[in-house]
Amino acid sequence: MTARNTHCSPRPSAFGFALDRRGLLKGVAGAAALGLGLPIGLAHAQVEIGKASGELTVGSNYSDEVPKSGLHAAIEAFPNKNVTVKLNEVDHNTFQENITTYLQNPDDVIPWFAGYRMQYFAAQDLLSPIDDVWASGLADHMSEGFKLASTGEDGKLYFVPWTYYCWGIHYRPSVFKEHGWMPPTSYEELQTLAKSMQDKGIVPFAFGNDGRWPAMGTFDQLDFRMNGYQFHMDLMKGKEKWTDDRVKNVFKEWTNLLPLQQENPNGRTWQEAASGLVSGDCGMMTIGNFVGQAFPNGDVSDLDFFPWPEMNPEFGTKTIEAPIDGWLLAKSPKNPDAARELLLFFGSAAGQEAYLAKDKSVIGAATDIDKSLFNPLQQKVLAAVSAAPTVTQFLDRDTNPEFAANVAGQAFADFLADPSSIDSILDDMQSQAEAIFGG
Amino acid sequence: MTARATAGARRHRLRPARILLYVMVTLLAFAWLVPIVGAIIASFRPYAETIRAGAFSWPHTLTLDNYRNAWSQGDIPHKYLNTAVILFPALVFTLFFSSMVAFVTSRYSWRFNVLLLSLFTAGNLLPQQIIIQPLFQFYNRVPLPEFLSNSGKLNGSVWGLILIHVAFQSGFCTFVLSNYMKLLPKSLNDAARIDGAGVWKQYWQIILPLTLPALAALATLEFTWIYNDFFWAVVLEQQGADRPITSSLANLGGQFFTDDNLIAAASMFVALPTLIVYLALQRYFIAGLTIGAEKG
Repeated sequence: MTARNTHCSPRPSAFGFALDRRGLLKGVAGAAALGLGLPIGLAHAQVEIGKASGELTVGSNYSDEVPKSGLHAAIEAFPNKNVTVKLNEVDHNTFQENITTYLQNPDDVIPWFAGYRMQYFAAQDLLSPIDDVWASGLADHMSEGFKLASTGEDGKLYFVPWTYYCWGIHYRPSVFKEHGWMPPTSYEELQTLAKSMQDKGIVPFAFGNDGRWPAMGTFDQLDFRMNGYQFHMDLMKGKEKWTDDRVKNVFKEWTNLLPLQQENPNGRTWQEAASGLVSGDCGMMTIGNFVGQAFPNGDVSDLDFFPWPEMNPEFGTKTIEAPIDGWLLAKSPKNPDAARELLLFFGSAAGQEAYLAKDKSVIGAATDIDKSLFNPLQQKVLAAVSAAPTVTQFLDRDTNPEFAANVAGQAFADFLADPSSIDSILDDMQSQAEAIFGG
Repeated sequence: MTARATAGARRHRLRPARILLYVMVTLLAFAWLVPIVGAIIASFRPYAETIRAGAFSWPHTLTLDNYRNAWSQGDIPHKYLNTAVILFPALVFTLFFSSMVAFVTSRYSWRFNVLLLSLFTAGNLLPQQIIIQPLFQFYNRVPLPEFLSNSGKLNGSVWGLILIHVAFQSGFCTFVLSNYMKLLPKSLNDAARIDGAGVWKQYWQIILPLTLPALAALATLEFTWIYNDFFWAVVLEQQGADRPITSSLANLGGQFFTDDNLIAAASMFVALPTLIVYLALQRYFIAGLTIGAEKG
């Protein structure tokens, strides 16, 4: 009510209008431009590779051998030779932990994740929108789902999808063959299979949770299989409660699964767990396709996966977890033209094929990519992701990073250490979620 | 019982205790050695063998491949150079500045001596993590000319790193050096003053040469401390290629997968300079650890 008593006229928002005056003016200007028949796209020229020149700084969290050589190959393949790309290579983990300080002095082109974690920085005005890059050809060879994952809360596009992989239950076909097992098609079959493994002295699920993120993968599978995509995403955004009976049911089911998983997972890295899969001590592992990198010499010829089976007929197997990695444009790039050209190239089949020639653990996001380059495992990933109408990123990419790292990671580790205390763990999670998401 | 009998009995009674002590010491030494020996063994084994047979299995293949790959993939020679460019100036400036403060506080009686010394010592107790945020913001706002810093700022330049090392290490060095200088007779200064030596001459030509043992001890200690820094370099240097060796070890690891055997080999390269310094200057190292223990 104070607004009415001031001498200045109140802001429109004070009376419930969503727009402030400046926004309204912008809208009017936009409408005027439309009315005059001017294409809005004129604000940005069409991005076309070959016009820019000069030095371009590109951040890279691809510091280990295989991804590094892939990125070098992709940059080598960039057709505009008037642009000199200067790479700033930092390891993935340090890059991620340092992202807030990094974004204060960023490189022009920045490697990052799709979805919530991109939207989070876009909303803080730390990134440049790249609708012009999308309008210059990117949109033609990206799926609708990937476009959605590249869109900020304000409806603008901020992200260029590059590569992705998916989560599922991984196994060694040779081991399955030896014992006459088949990949299960229902949850009951999965449980029968697990029992049969236990009878033969094989631990059904290799499981490690050192670093406190791998267990998030199992939670995601259970939650969207039992409660569906929408509930899962609303839970991630703080719109549903962790104390909800549906979440409690997830943990009840997980408690039933615990005897099938390797014991004491909190002290075991996923790589150590994967060595159980390699040696044949464990039969299966719920993990991302990157598990193949832990196989001797990266040989994935004896590696396959199946999606987590249906647990609720209402939701079937419609959702898959397929985290997308890609590229962003800094807020004030030093060489914006060259940066836009490189982003356009990174989003194209040509750019991604150059990368995939070196790194076989992921697949490219462009729909027109040459599929004959893929090995059988990559073909299966493509088929699995194409078959799923809804795609999640991963718990720590779909929710507030602080909540994922400090609350959820800890809570899941506590649950694995003492499953009986799940009710108090969930109460605690809910109160912290309310503090972080603002109730 | 006679005194001699008691002594004999005590010697007898001590025997099991002594055995227990040896057992304990051996076990402790073993516990300390397990990770180091484990890393050395891993560094000579191919990763494929470790994942197939487990980290604690008997090695069948020994190879230098991990060392060769770590050296080239980790760009180790370049990282050694990055470290040297930060380490040596920081070391020289730290010892130079702190010896000057120590000289004044120990050789002159001045009202604020104790306050000044406490200030320097208190700086020692401050955890790095507490000041990193304001320090980062401050560094980010200080411009530097292009020829001094690629980023055009104090943030992301070697000068920023040298500066913070000098600031953080001079507290301890001042404390140690002033205690050492206090042990030198006051009459040395008096004699020099009678001969017409100014303050600078007293410091540079009389006191500093006499402080050399303490400086050598501190130099060895500070070498390992500054060399081992990970934190400052990770936060204050954003260019991966310019980071010192400790902060760039992680470059060999990936988003998910890390070849632990390769990292083990690279760790050996990282540990090597401190080991060499320790073995060559062991004498000073031990002196350095006890030098501030006695108060003059």
